[in-house]
Amino acid sequence: MRLLKPLVSALIAIILIVLDARFSYLDNLKRNSTALLSPVYFLVDLPSEMMNWVSDKGSNIEQLISENEQLTNELFELKAKLQIFNNLVLENQKISRLIDASYSLPENAVKLARIKSISQSRLKKQLVINKGSNDNILASQIVVGANGVVGQIIQSTPFYATVQLATDPTQHIPVKNVRNGGRGITKGMASSKGDMKIEFMPFDADVKLGDTFVTSSIGGSYPAGYPVGEVIEVSAPQDEAFLLIKLKLFENMNELEFVLVVSEPL
Amino acid sequence: MIRQSPLILLFKLTLISALLSVISLPEMIQSAAPYWVLIFFIYWLIYVETKAVYSFALLLGLLLDLLHGNVFGQNALALIGSTVFIIHVKKSFYVSNLSTQQVYVFVASLIYLLITIGVHLMIQGFDFSYLIFLAPITGAILWPIVHSLLVKLKH
Repeated sequence: MRLLKPLVSALIAIILIVLDARFSYLDNLKRNSTALLSPVYFLVDLPSEMMNWVSDKGSNIEQLISENEQLTNELFELKAKLQIFNNLVLENQKISRLIDASYSLPENAVKLARIKSISQSRLKKQLVINKGSNDNILASQIVVGANGVVGQIIQSTPFYATVQLATDPTQHIPVKNVRNGGRGITKGMASSKGDMKIEFMPFDADVKLGDTFVTSSIGGSYPAGYPVGEVIEVSAPQDEAFLLIKLKLFENMNELEFVLVVSEPL
Repeated sequence: MIRQSPLILLFKLTLISALLSVISLPEMIQSAAPYWVLIFFIYWLIYVETKAVYSFALLLGLLLDLLHGNVFGQNALALIGSTVFIIHVKKSFYVSNLSTQQVYVFVASLIYLLITIGVHLMIQGFDFSYLIFLAPITGAILWPIVHSLLVKLKH
């Protein structure tokens, strides 16, 4: 009788774990309940927001002029690079048509979001951004940074969204080798900081140290062509059926401040 | 024992510990950080006479699961497991000196850790940062500080 109360509570918790992990019955309940917790996120992020606000207000005119000049120069450089990129895209489209390739480089709408100073589970690799369903940020949308893929939206509330990082073990990204088009699927490594591995590449696959992998559109979840990482280790273990490939992510998750959420194709 | 309404005190403790648990820290420190909600809940369990402690543990755990984006029920199960231990040693805990209390906090945190890892293993497999094994130790080390601050909060 003494153990009945904890047993009943534990049983409820176990049922909820099974319902959440194996099925998706609780998704709506979780989404709506998480939305109610937004004030907690707001309170935690308040000091960081205040610092940003003070920093913005504290900038004097000279600083702003200097920053403006620097940004104008960068804009010119980027425009020049964009022209080269546009040419490459056109060439890519022509070649894709010729070889009837299954992947292409679609143009997508993006939304800029700021990383919030809110920590998530220590057993998962997640972060929270300051845009949510009010800004049409939806679950399963892709998040990229300035250097490459960051992860995928897994939950969206009106004011915040949770991003599961590409380095989380449950996150799998279809990728291809830029050098020869060889395809594989990435898997995050929680025990290794900022690294991931590529699975399902056969022993005869041509993979070398320094090869760059980008997203492929296989499966349709990730748009093609976003840089993911660089190969830092390749080995062929005898007891394994596939190559063991370690990838160093281009994007440093610890230095992220802003990210782009890639939404529906334009 | 505390004369303040148990529910008001629990609300205060929950708010503070929830805020502490979602403050962004470097990855290493975050992995090794104490289970704030558990530590605050232990204080509430020890110094407040109340019934339905397991229902409160369940609700608090579910709140934490939502806040941290965990599997729904993972923290709840861990908190219930630790609560069973704390209730079992409650009388001894109440009269013990701080260093003995630290041992109890360490064991409760270890139970919490093992249950969360157990659930994680069943769902996701063996892949996590080993720094999380430091969490029970940091929890025990910080207990005297948390305890002295909470004594002030109860008034």
